[in-house]
Amino acid sequence: MEKIAVSGIGAVTPSGIGKRQFWANLKSGRSFIKEITRFDASKYPSHIAGQIDDLEKYSHVSERLLKKIDAFSHMALIAAELALQDAGIEIKNEDPNLVGIFLGNAIGGWLYAETELRNLYLEGREGVSPYMASAWFPAAPQGQLSIYYGIKGFSKTVVADRASSLMALGYAGKVLDKNKLNMILAGGMEAPVTPYALLCCNTYGALSENNAYPQSAYRPFDKKRDGFVIGEGAGIVLLEPVARVKKRGANILAYLSGYGTSCDGVDRINPAADGKELARAIKMALADARVSPDEIDYISLDGLAVEIWDNSEIAAIKSVFGSRIRQIPVSCPKSMFGNLLGASGAVDMITAILAMEHNLVPPTLNLEEPATNGLNYITGKAREFNIKKALIISRGRGGINSAIVIEKGA
Amino acid sequence: METKERIKDILSKLLKVKPEELKDDVSLESSIGVDSTEMVETVIALEKAFNTKLSPKEIIKSSTINDIEAVIKSKLSADEHN
Repeated sequence: MEKIAVSGIGAVTPSGIGKRQFWANLKSGRSFIKEITRFDASKYPSHIAGQIDDLEKYSHVSERLLKKIDAFSHMALIAAELALQDAGIEIKNEDPNLVGIFLGNAIGGWLYAETELRNLYLEGREGVSPYMASAWFPAAPQGQLSIYYGIKGFSKTVVADRASSLMALGYAGKVLDKNKLNMILAGGMEAPVTPYALLCCNTYGALSENNAYPQSAYRPFDKKRDGFVIGEGAGIVLLEPVARVKKRGANILAYLSGYGTSCDGVDRINPAADGKELARAIKMALADARVSPDEIDYISLDGLAVEIWDNSEIAAIKSVFGSRIRQIPVSCPKSMFGNLLGASGAVDMITAILAMEHNLVPPTLNLEEPATNGLNYITGKAREFNIKKALIISRGRGGINSAIVIEKGA
Repeated sequence: METKERIKDILSKLLKVKPEELKDDVSLESSIGVDSTEMVETVIALEKAFNTKLSPKEIIKSSTINDIEAVIKSKLSADEHN
C-alpha cells in the first residue's frame, strides 16, 4: 500500500490522557496497575487493573449525552477529540461524506449492559433504560462519533478480540489507499473494568492473580509471569493521505505503511504454539510496506504474559528476523498500564509513534528474568534508540494475528 | 407543586436540560431536540411520577409542555372517576 499519514494522536489511558501526559509516564517506566476501586472486586481471583479515574475532567461530553452512552463510547469521544485537536482539524470545515470512522473493540459496552440487565431482573421491563438499546453494542462508539461530528463517510467497526483496534487501523489504511476518503478517525476503545466483564476475563484463565503486588503483576516474557492485567481506555489517531497533510502544511507524526493479518485455526482460545501464522501476518505487513525485515528497528510486542502466547510470539519474530532479533529493541509497554483488550493495538501504535518522535524505546515493566533469552528486551526504563521503522503486533483469542508497520514522520 | 411545574422539573432532571429550555407552548422537538429514546424515557418517568398509564402515542416529540399537562390532567381526572 501507499504510505498513509498519521496526523493526530488521541490517547486515553490509565497512564494518562493526552499524548504528553501519556508519554511522560511511559518513559519513566511507572506502573499504573492498581487494585480495582470502582466496585468491590476483592472476591475475584484477579482484582487489579489499569483504571481511568478522572475521565470527566477531560470530557467535553454533555451530561445529557453521557447518560445515554457507555464508558467505552465516552472514552472514544475524548480520544477522537484529542486526535482532531492534535491534527488541527475541525470536522465542520470538512466534507462529511469524505470522513470515515474505523474503530475496534472486543466486548462492547458492558457497564451499561450489566447494569440494565440487573434492572431487568429486579424491576422488570420498565426498569430498563431505553438507552440500553443503543449504548451497549460494539458499534456504538462509531455511531456516537458520527453523530457528534456529523461524519457520514465509509466507516466500520471491527470486532476481533484483542486484535480489534490494530485491525481497524489496518483496514482504515487500506480504505485511504484506495482514495476513497479524505481522512479517517481510526483506533479503538475498551472499558472492561466492570463486574461482569472482569468475571469473564477471570474465567478465561489468563489474568495475573498477583493481587498483592499490582505494579509488578503484569510481567510479559518474564520467568515469573502468571498472566496479564486488564486495563481500560482508548487510542484513536487521525489518518490522512500524505499529500493532503503536506498541502495543508501540517505535521506528519508517522506513516502507516503496511498491514497483515492471518488466523491460526487450531484452538478456540490459544494460539498455535509454532507462531507460523503470526510470522506470516508479519511478513505480509512487511511486504505490504515494501520494508525488509532488516529495516525494522523496533518491535512492539503483544506480550500476554502467558507461556504459549509469549513463546509463540517469540517463535514468530525469530523466524522472520533471524539472528537480527538479537539487536532489534523489543518491548511491551502495556505492562505499565494494562492490556486494553480490543483497544490495545491502537494504543501500542500510538506508543510506538511517540517512541519514534522522542528516539526512546519505552520499556517492558517487570521483565527481570526472561523466560526466553536471545532478544534485545528493553526493561526498567526507556532507552535511547533512533527508530525509523517499527512493527506492532496484536493478537486475539482463537488465533487472530495482526501486524502493522509504521515509519517515522517527516 | 403545580402539575406543569412538576412536569418541567421531571423532564429537566431526567433529560439533563435546564428548566427554562422547556417552553410551555413549544414542542419538545423544537425546544430541546428530543429524540425517540428520550421520549420513551419521558413517558415511563411521567407514568411513575403521576401513577397513571400513558401511551407513547399520547405524549410525542411534537407535544408542548401545555399538551403534556393537558394529557396528564385528563388521565388523573379519569383515574379519579374510575
